[in-house]
Amino acid sequence: MANTRDIRNRIKGVKNTRQITKAMQMVATSKMKRAQESAKSGRPYALLLADVIGSLSGNVEDVRQTFFATRPVKHRGILVVSTDKGLCGALNANLFRILSDIDSSAKFVSIGKRASQYLSRARRDLLADFTVNDRAPFAEVRKVVEFLLWSYEQETIDTVEIVYTSFVNTLVQEPEIVQLLPLTDLDSMLEKLHARFGAADDETVKDRREILFEPVRDEILAELAALYVKQEIHQLILEAQASEHSARMVAMKSATDNAGNLLDELTLQYNRARQAAITQEILEISAAAFAENT
Amino acid sequence: MSLTLDIVTPDAKVYSESVDEVGFPTSEGRIHVLPHHIPLIAKLNAGDIKVHKGNKVEMLAVGTGFVEVYGDKVSILTDQAINVEEVDDKDIDEAIKRAQEALEEGKKSDIDAAEIERLEAAARFAMAQQIARGKRR
Repeated sequence: MANTRDIRNRIKGVKNTRQITKAMQMVATSKMKRAQESAKSGRPYALLLADVIGSLSGNVEDVRQTFFATRPVKHRGILVVSTDKGLCGALNANLFRILSDIDSSAKFVSIGKRASQYLSRARRDLLADFTVNDRAPFAEVRKVVEFLLWSYEQETIDTVEIVYTSFVNTLVQEPEIVQLLPLTDLDSMLEKLHARFGAADDETVKDRREILFEPVRDEILAELAALYVKQEIHQLILEAQASEHSARMVAMKSATDNAGNLLDELTLQYNRARQAAITQEILEISAAAFAENT
Repeated sequence: MSLTLDIVTPDAKVYSESVDEVGFPTSEGRIHVLPHHIPLIAKLNAGDIKVHKGNKVEMLAVGTGFVEVYGDKVSILTDQAINVEEVDDKDIDEAIKRAQEALEEGKKSDIDAAEIERLEAAARFAMAQQIARGKRR
């Protein structure tokens, strides 16, 4: 049986660990709430923007616009949104599983240290890596988007896709790949968006009259498309952050629970060892007393 | 028949009511929309939005964005919006001063273009509030 001092030291160690994981759990909980809030508050805007673009969908067929026209895909452009820190369960591992199916001509842009580590280790073509802080302000996200749009216009990449972890609920987060550019299939994109936000889409009135553009159509279309991509990427990053924090919260909760169980077991072991030592001592004393009397 | 007016910013849905008329500044000049307007998509400039509801007139200040008129629905997408009833002149003056100071400082200590653009938007929005408030009286 282990000696009592060893056990006592282990108990102390486990207690410290539990304290840390508990604190991390609480931090993640509050961060998750904030991330969820900001992801939610951006939804009406994203939806309305998509609706505006959607109402154009009948009108854009003859448009020769970079953002709407498809071209042969030589290099897919993929933005990977991962976390900076670990200790969030299988979140990043699940995310990277999607990436392993993508063929090697694709070019990547990463957000988060984990993604850039993974991509360079897997010897993928990493164009740039960005870091976005916890609150994911629009200003930081904008740099990423502008880089993507620029590469798209330069034809370094022929699509803009984003791989992120979508937030289903606190316990379930699913990695997902979403194509943002070119904007070809507006109707199905709208449908998906409505499904994701759980909004009713039957209220859109059909107006068949010709749309008036102020100023010219092409200018508005280009700006709307750019705004849409920016907004969409920002929204998805916020969602990825909500996923990260809830994954971390769950991971830390189970770590805290495990530490608790371990502590119970160790305490039992410690008490047993202590009692055994006492019994042993009494036995020795009484044996010595008995030997003296005879 | 009345119009439905929605004003949405990235942070929240700011305004959603049925109104009679609405006027707003676009890149091509002010546009005033009544029911049965033809579909329209326009670039919105920072400035004041004038909303007629019954015999009441409301003034709102907005930043830049887009306006869509579709059916009898007017949707305004903008980076920021505020009802000028909720702010007072002193706050606006201070906001303008702050925004301009930040802008000056920013231009001196070459920060990146995106940040300057953001500061300019803030300044424009503060100005728009002042204009909208001035027109209300």
